[in-house]
Amino acid sequence: MMTWVTGFSIAVTLGAYVLSRAVARRHPSPLTTPVFFSTVLTILVLSSSGVGVADYEPAQRIMVFLLGPATVSLAVPLYKSRRTLLTNTLPALAGLAIGSLATLSAAVLLARLLGLPSVIRASISIKSVTAPIAIELAPIIDGSPTLTAAFVIATGMIGAMLGPWLMNATGIHDPLARGLALGTVSHGQGTAQAVVEGELQGAAAGIAMGLTAVFTSVVAPVLVPLLG
Amino acid sequence: MAAGPGIGFAFPFETMNALIAIVVQVAALLAINQAGYTAAAALRLPVPGNLLGMLFLLALLATGLVPLRWMESSSSVLIRHLAFFFIPITVGLRGFAELFVDNGPAILVTLIVSASVGICVAGLSSQRLAARQARRTP
Repeated sequence: MMTWVTGFSIAVTLGAYVLSRAVARRHPSPLTTPVFFSTVLTILVLSSSGVGVADYEPAQRIMVFLLGPATVSLAVPLYKSRRTLLTNTLPALAGLAIGSLATLSAAVLLARLLGLPSVIRASISIKSVTAPIAIELAPIIDGSPTLTAAFVIATGMIGAMLGPWLMNATGIHDPLARGLALGTVSHGQGTAQAVVEGELQGAAAGIAMGLTAVFTSVVAPVLVPLLG
Repeated sequence: MAAGPGIGFAFPFETMNALIAIVVQVAALLAINQAGYTAAAALRLPVPGNLLGMLFLLALLATGLVPLRWMESSSSVLIRHLAFFFIPITVGLRGFAELFVDNGPAILVTLIVSASVGICVAGLSSQRLAARQARRTP
């Protein structure tokens, strides 16, 4: 049974998304990235109409139902661009491994330098791992699954917003490298942004997202306690 | 997915066929996704089920068991709107308001700097390695 709150929540979220795509087409900027723009708009409308965090949960469950099949369908662009990925296996694997280590170490060391408590340091270390596995990885390294989920989502947004601009500024033009960097750091949201750039970028991001999750799951339990 | 030859009202039939094709394809993708989660749980692999599902579909396409055209229309629709599925999740950040008020600036700096470092390091290292490889193998 769908309540009116759930129906309203879905309508607001869908409406915000449709609007964000129209706005992004006319005024492309980091602030009009569909995920960021729609999230802010949806939160504002829900809060001002008295829909609480718990009231939104059934709507959330309905809307993310297709996220699984959408992730599975990433195999199609991956298959289409298999030749490019196979000829670049070494640069791709090395890039995502070095990038994963860099972002994990930078997060833990910086969090320590800024005096954040240890539960936040552990939870923030795995923020580049795709949400379903990060949540399971968090307790193993003494982090909080809830905090980790928040940091994973925020990192997805930050990477999707700043990534393309940052890569233009640092001269990263190779489509494989761009997709790889977005997927390594910003998992699914980075992959969604990479898909906007092109099919190869999307495919590279998809495989980077998956392999980063595997790589970080193996490395984090050893590295995070070492870095403190 | 084209309508049969000799049918006068080709347009509505084709639209309906395309819709049916997408529904059937999404159902197949759902089944593959579920198979991924079932396999991950059964084998106790620390890997997300949807990732295994993606690898299953990749294997099906690579072996030719599933022709590319069977999955093409639904995958392009789903992938084009991949960003949508993250909005309901990020809206859930509302629940963490207090924590972000207390530690906000330090958390934000940590997240932004570490993400930027990761993107630049991953991008530059793979771009350089790819360029070096391209020079060696013409």
